Amino acid sequence: MSVDAPARTLNVALVGNPNTGKSTLFNALSGIRQKTGNYPGVTVEKKHGSFTHKGQKVELIDLPGTYSLAPRSPDEMVTVDVLLGRQANETKPNAVMVIVDASNLERNLYIVSQVKELGLPTVVALNMGDIARDKGISVDVIQLSQRLGVPIVATQANRRGGLDQLRDTIVSLLDSDSIPVESPFPEEFRDKVGQLHAKLQEHDEQSTRYLAERLLLDTSGYLEKELTSGGKELHNWIVESRNQLAELGQPVPAIEAISRYKWVQEVLDGIVTREATRKVTLSDRIDRILTNRIGGTIFFIFIMTLMFQAVFSDLVAGNLMGYIEGFFEIIAGFVDASLADGALKSLLIDGVIAGVGGVLVFLPQICILFFFIAILEDCGYLARAAYLMDRLFSKIGLSGKSFIPLLSSFACAIPGIMAARVIENRRDRLITILVAPLMSCSARMPVYVLLTAAFIPDETIGGVLSLHTLVMLSMYLLGILAAVGVAFVLRRTILPGETPPFVMELPSYKFPSISGVLMVMVEKGWAFVKRAGTLIFAMTVIVWALSYFPRDEEAATAPFAEEIAQLETQLESASDEEAAQIEHRLAEINNQIDGELLRGSFLGMAGHWIEPVVRPLGWDWKIGSAAIASFPAREVIISTMGVLYNLGGEEDEESAPLRETIKEAKWAGTDENVFNIPVALSIMVFFALCAQCAATLAVIKRETNSWRWPIFTFVYMTVLAYVGAMITYQVSALVFLS
Amino acid sequence: MLPDIPLNMVQPGSVVRISQVVGGQDDVKRMAEMGLQTGTEVEMLQSGSPCIVRVGQAKLCFRQSDILNILVSTD
Repeated sequence: MSVDAPARTLNVALVGNPNTGKSTLFNALSGIRQKTGNYPGVTVEKKHGSFTHKGQKVELIDLPGTYSLAPRSPDEMVTVDVLLGRQANETKPNAVMVIVDASNLERNLYIVSQVKELGLPTVVALNMGDIARDKGISVDVIQLSQRLGVPIVATQANRRGGLDQLRDTIVSLLDSDSIPVESPFPEEFRDKVGQLHAKLQEHDEQSTRYLAERLLLDTSGYLEKELTSGGKELHNWIVESRNQLAELGQPVPAIEAISRYKWVQEVLDGIVTREATRKVTLSDRIDRILTNRIGGTIFFIFIMTLMFQAVFSDLVAGNLMGYIEGFFEIIAGFVDASLADGALKSLLIDGVIAGVGGVLVFLPQICILFFFIAILEDCGYLARAAYLMDRLFSKIGLSGKSFIPLLSSFACAIPGIMAARVIENRRDRLITILVAPLMSCSARMPVYVLLTAAFIPDETIGGVLSLHTLVMLSMYLLGILAAVGVAFVLRRTILPGETPPFVMELPSYKFPSISGVLMVMVEKGWAFVKRAGTLIFAMTVIVWALSYFPRDEEAATAPFAEEIAQLETQLESASDEEAAQIEHRLAEINNQIDGELLRGSFLGMAGHWIEPVVRPLGWDWKIGSAAIASFPAREVIISTMGVLYNLGGEEDEESAPLRETIKEAKWAGTDENVFNIPVALSIMVFFALCAQCAATLAVIKRETNSWRWPIFTFVYMTVLAYVGAMITYQVSALVFLS
Repeated sequence: MLPDIPLNMVQPGSVVRISQVVGGQDDVKRMAEMGLQTGTEVEMLQSGSPCIVRVGQAKLCFRQSDILNILVSTD
């Protein structure tokens, strides 16, 4: 191959068992030159990366970790389709890299045997040699390479070891188009595959021998449905062939495992040596504590506390959030000073800056959470956490694997829903996605803080537990309990079926790759900024327009025109003290005018329109309007309430005037307070349960590739929130108002 | 010779050999892909549900109900 003029692009597919360091190796090889996406129709993430080595450009595609290339679900089918060049919009790989765990070759070579049957030029990355050494295992790499008939490179992905040699070997794969296909199956079976291949080719010339073999092996009928039009004659032929093979002592599908493991045994015979007695490794010693019911649970609680402390404490996240807020305040101030009052200024300040800033402020929490999750995953702890949680989750029909997505959702449901990709079972993954938005994300915090501080008495129970803490904690628990209930109901109604087997491998502990962890954090953070930011941006502009138009400034200003003119005249000759009082009064008038304008806006009109609907929740039309405005993003409620109660839109949850004003707000024409404890609790419950986040719904659409599930989530959460808020109001009104 | 027992009944610390994997063809194959097939030596590391077993060099978690079909000999 000429170094100066590469003959063609090399497309290399990365396959391997889970926990073999495949993604770490992919990250190390491609650096920042990578792109993530989704296959249409299924929620399998596709990761593309590239590198150039000695003038040759190499495109990498990272496929989901799998123990076998026997597809039994649409997700697994994607891997096979990509390898065979049957996936639309995906270039057929012209080489394969299989990543294997050197400490667990018996099982890892199973997939190597399947990959070799594809006949594509293959390289094996023998990873985790350090863990093999710790376990007292040594492998004769040269012999192994000879027996496999493909090049092997020893790598240590987390330390970036062996990368140069791996790149050299990958590029050298260009020299060949294929490798000899070597089947581990007995002759009778191979004959049947040949006959089936010929039959398939009668209908479809593109049909490969590999698919014919898989068709014969797959007794579940999945591939038959997927690949053939289901012709009865073909089906009968396949069933008959399987019966004949069973009579010959080659029962399908057991024949595959038997043949491949026999092949693995022959390949490894005499070239893998182990110490006579099994070494107790550091991983074993750590596991004695971390998977122990008591010790493990204590450590789990400790780690979770540490993580949430980092996410929610002022020390890291709080300060960074403060900087982001400060940054947006400076921009808002700059826009305020540079533009004349009017629609454009309002759009920029109240729409764009408030909307986008309101979302970006959660970026530090998201990054910190993913930093922790990436470290815990990379070092091997998350699998232990899922193991510990499975006992709890299995009671509601989920598995321990749902733990991570739900945990992530406490910061924000968007990355949480994306994290559900680790769950192989489609139904478990769907249920996890559907209940993830019920976890109290950080956007609910401002609502809880404002209403708790304003209405819940600052008392302690038994001199220890603050009532404020109890109410806040109850809101988090409410979300968790609602999620448990919904998951339980979904399992038994619209998503029924057998509980799939829970099989999970606990990887050996290893030191996390810092660059890999940082890359995950940046990738997730950027995805959040890009996806949530663009959608929130659009939605806040719409909400701004609804709250701005139609605008009759003259009518709103008229009742105050005389007073304003008077005050402005007085201001010219006033002392400093008097001037301050006059300016204060002018600001009050401005806020009242803003409130009047909002009341007359489309949003205000909608608020009046829905008042009969929200009355059973104890709400007036202003709370109704604020709730409508916050459907795209719940954090909008605070600024909307600020405007509705004539305080200006810059109010936040810490605002004492907002707290005082909503305390004093009266029902029109009466002395009755709008807000009281039952109303505050009803609003909090509504916000805890409602799907007020357009970005989350958009991500559900993307991950499930259907509008059905975001619509379902929106409807069920809104009904749940309404009913929950009504029950809360009606019951607590009996307690507090009787 | 002692009779075969399901894998979930094995005490922690015991090393046993799989004598038979029964059940649906697909489940049997899935187990085989994970390394659990007739003749394989398995060590029970942590009993209960889920339990942790060592198969070859790997540690795998299973729920009790999922390994009822894996019969082992304790000789």
